[in-house]
Amino acid sequence: MKKLKDFLKRAWSIPQMRIGLILLALLILMAIFAPVLAPHDPYYLYDERLHAPCAEFPLGTDGVGHCVLSQIIYGSRTSLTIGVIAASISAVIGTTVGGVAGFFGGKTDKVLNEVMNVFLMIPSFFLILLIVAIYGSSMLNVMIIIGLTSWVGNARLMRAQAISLKQRTFIRSAEAMGESKSSILWKHIIPNGIFPIIANTTMNISGAILSEAGLAFIGLGDPNIISWGQIIDAGKKYLPKCWWITSFSGLAVVFTVLAFYLIGDGLTKVLTPKMTQQK
Amino acid sequence: MKQYIWKRVLTGALVVLFSVLFNFVLMRLAPGDPTRLLAGKENPNPATILALQERYGLNKPIMVQFVLYIKQLLHGDFGFSYVSNRPVLTIIGERFGATILLAVVGLIIEITVGILLGVHAAQHQGSKFDTILNGISYFFDSTPAFWLGLMIILLFSSTLHLLPTSGMYNVRENYQGFRRVLDVGYHMILPTLTMVVLNIPYYFRITRSSVMETMNEDYIMTLRSTGMPEKQIFRKYVLRNALLPIITVVGITMAYMITGVAFIEIVFAWPGMGRLMLNSITTRDYPVLSGIYLLLSISVAVMMIVVDVVYAYADPRIRYED
Amino acid sequence: MSLLEVKDVSITYQMPNKSVYAVQNVNLTLNEQESVGIVGESGSGKSTLAMGILRLLPSNAKITGEALLHGEDIFKMSDKRLREVRWVNMSVVFQKAMNAMSPVHKIGLQMLDIYKVHYPDTPDAEIKTKIIELFKIVNLPPRVYDSYPHELSGGMMQRVAIALSLIFQPEMLIMDEATTALDVVTQSQILDEIMDLEKNMNIARIMITHDVSVVASTCKRVVVMYAGQMMEDGDVTDVLVKPKHPYTKGLLNSFPSFSGEKTELRGIPGNLPDLSILAKGCVFADRCPYAKEKCFNEKPELKTIAGNWHTACHYPLGEEDNA
Repeated sequence: MKKLKDFLKRAWSIPQMRIGLILLALLILMAIFAPVLAPHDPYYLYDERLHAPCAEFPLGTDGVGHCVLSQIIYGSRTSLTIGVIAASISAVIGTTVGGVAGFFGGKTDKVLNEVMNVFLMIPSFFLILLIVAIYGSSMLNVMIIIGLTSWVGNARLMRAQAISLKQRTFIRSAEAMGESKSSILWKHIIPNGIFPIIANTTMNISGAILSEAGLAFIGLGDPNIISWGQIIDAGKKYLPKCWWITSFSGLAVVFTVLAFYLIGDGLTKVLTPKMTQQK
Repeated sequence: MKQYIWKRVLTGALVVLFSVLFNFVLMRLAPGDPTRLLAGKENPNPATILALQERYGLNKPIMVQFVLYIKQLLHGDFGFSYVSNRPVLTIIGERFGATILLAVVGLIIEITVGILLGVHAAQHQGSKFDTILNGISYFFDSTPAFWLGLMIILLFSSTLHLLPTSGMYNVRENYQGFRRVLDVGYHMILPTLTMVVLNIPYYFRITRSSVMETMNEDYIMTLRSTGMPEKQIFRKYVLRNALLPIITVVGITMAYMITGVAFIEIVFAWPGMGRLMLNSITTRDYPVLSGIYLLLSISVAVMMIVVDVVYAYADPRIRYED
Repeated sequence: MSLLEVKDVSITYQMPNKSVYAVQNVNLTLNEQESVGIVGESGSGKSTLAMGILRLLPSNAKITGEALLHGEDIFKMSDKRLREVRWVNMSVVFQKAMNAMSPVHKIGLQMLDIYKVHYPDTPDAEIKTKIIELFKIVNLPPRVYDSYPHELSGGMMQRVAIALSLIFQPEMLIMDEATTALDVVTQSQILDEIMDLEKNMNIARIMITHDVSVVASTCKRVVVMYAGQMMEDGDVTDVLVKPKHPYTKGLLNSFPSFSGEKTELRGIPGNLPDLSILAKGCVFADRCPYAKEKCFNEKPELKTIAGNWHTACHYPLGEEDNA
């Protein structure tokens, strides 16, 4: 418990972590209380099309008469969901593959390591794009595909963790006491080596949100949901006159990605305290 | 050393093989009839279906189809666009130059500026310059390329009416010779600016942390204690050690430079492969899409091998490893 | 005049929200061709002291006091003067020899560069001959000149680091845990070589280590440090034979491992005190089995036992009857 408190205290002392957490808290609140916060129904088509920001529509309306602010507020749900689920999928795959490779070692490691090398070289955004183009752009597809293509970073981290952890006495004694390999992997190696994965997963959330926005921007977003990328895309053709549609939705993406990015970076910093004085 | 390079080549070959396999599986296992995908129509006429079945051996067992597919690829046959019915490779070839031009110019600028800024910031840790650049770098790291492009268009050309926002040259005038070069350069300014602004932070941060890390190394401490002037230590020892890992980073971005500029091309209507990709998505021209993907995989694999070999030569620790 | 006189040196690290008093009021004299060992656990400030004397501390370390090299205060030297003195008058061998040289430059080239810092006009061939001669002295083959650090073993790199430190035959050599990372056999070999070299080259040495046995076998005098302060100093034959300070006694009773430093000494339970808090009494009182009330309330001054033998204890061992 004290360890956790120390950890939180250390984390809070890092400025980018503080900013990131505050941004994230605001974002989550926005997603949860979207119905309360949004001034209008985000799907309703108002008569005022391409209306500049005013009291009625604080961030204006888009080409078909959607309230941009309401759309952005609801869009936070999409971005957060996609980001978190896609990154979680990649965390689970990465942890498992990396843990198995590092802990079992030998031939298993060789093969899995080569698989990782190959996956690392595959241009993932293009692969995502190709799959979504062929198989359809439902939100579920997008999440799964992003998750399936972004796990290598996690796997490499977990592999390194497993390799160093398996030398430690408590793992060796568990082995000596006859605990099965897979039980050691799940009960000791992964829980003890998970921290870098958490930091990296936070970063992956940023990546997933950016990927989704990119897909939506080139017309491969889920047409049934509200997404920031789609708002940017929809506003593109009204530039420069109706600048508000694209500008505000883009800012929403930037700040969301920034939040996770700052937290991920902060977590990495907590994990590897800089050794300014060694002795 | 030799073994090291062979290992990398093997990985590269595996990457290409995997990409080919992915491509094949994706197209064949797609929902519905593959002929529909390959023809690009919901209800292709029977003659087309027959032609396609003949061409791709669609009525043969899946393994035979795969071998056939690889054979075609090896002959440089990447299929035909059903929109224009021209060979995919030809279509991509026409767009390749524009993409490379934009990517290479941007890359040279961003690497140079990023590394210079990073080195400077590392030497002045905690200075105002360092803090501000750090903050900016976080911001641009979180910015999608397409949005920044749009914002730059909004700012520079629409509001200030200064620079061209789309295309590669002035279509109406269609200059020739040296004026054409100038015209292309003029059209390149905004796309390049977008790319450079987005990527400098990346090089900046990596250089900065690498230099800082190196400055704390024991051997730098040894050199300092010998009375060697700081300038000499920095130029000869810190930089050489700190810039080594950056070779890899530069190589990786070079490998992905085609994807890196795709969104910028789309936003600025630059007639490169990114633009082609967008068009193919809109028209559901799958043969072209899969062709782009394959070429991209191959170029990434090749670049990665080149990078590894270069790195191995630059770093004696790898050079002598067996 | 002594070669080096360290007078009342204190080193404090300024942290964002606290100060860490790493070294406090240390006095030390090193005569020419003499060898002094500084022993203590990790965190005792022994390395900080050495880095302070070499002026290699990070900028957040504040140093007070004087370190007189032939009467000239190192702390007050201009950067230019400091560079002149470095390596020619005082050189150092660090603990992590594997990391002592740049991994991407050949060893010979680096040593050549270092040589030229002080004698830029010497022809390369001449320097090379000199370096290879040095290699011979420390039992290294000439091929090391054209090798990269990663191609050598830990023991060989340690020898390279020693050869490098001797390149100008300095008057003073500081060895900071220089043999700690080595196996016992190599360690004793290298220590023997060093003592031979010293005799031939007239070198005085400060030996920083946690290993009392290293000091006992290679040094004439010893300074025992704990939590940044001097506990006891004097001739090895006095201090390490009949220690007056309970901490020295504890150190002698413990068996330091060959591979690394122990944080807890056998016979002295407990850990180092928090160096950001200045103790009112004796810093060792919390762990001292003989501590009395006075020890917690009053800081003991260094007092002379006999000649150059001092101890900072209210109740020196063997004099219990005085208490």
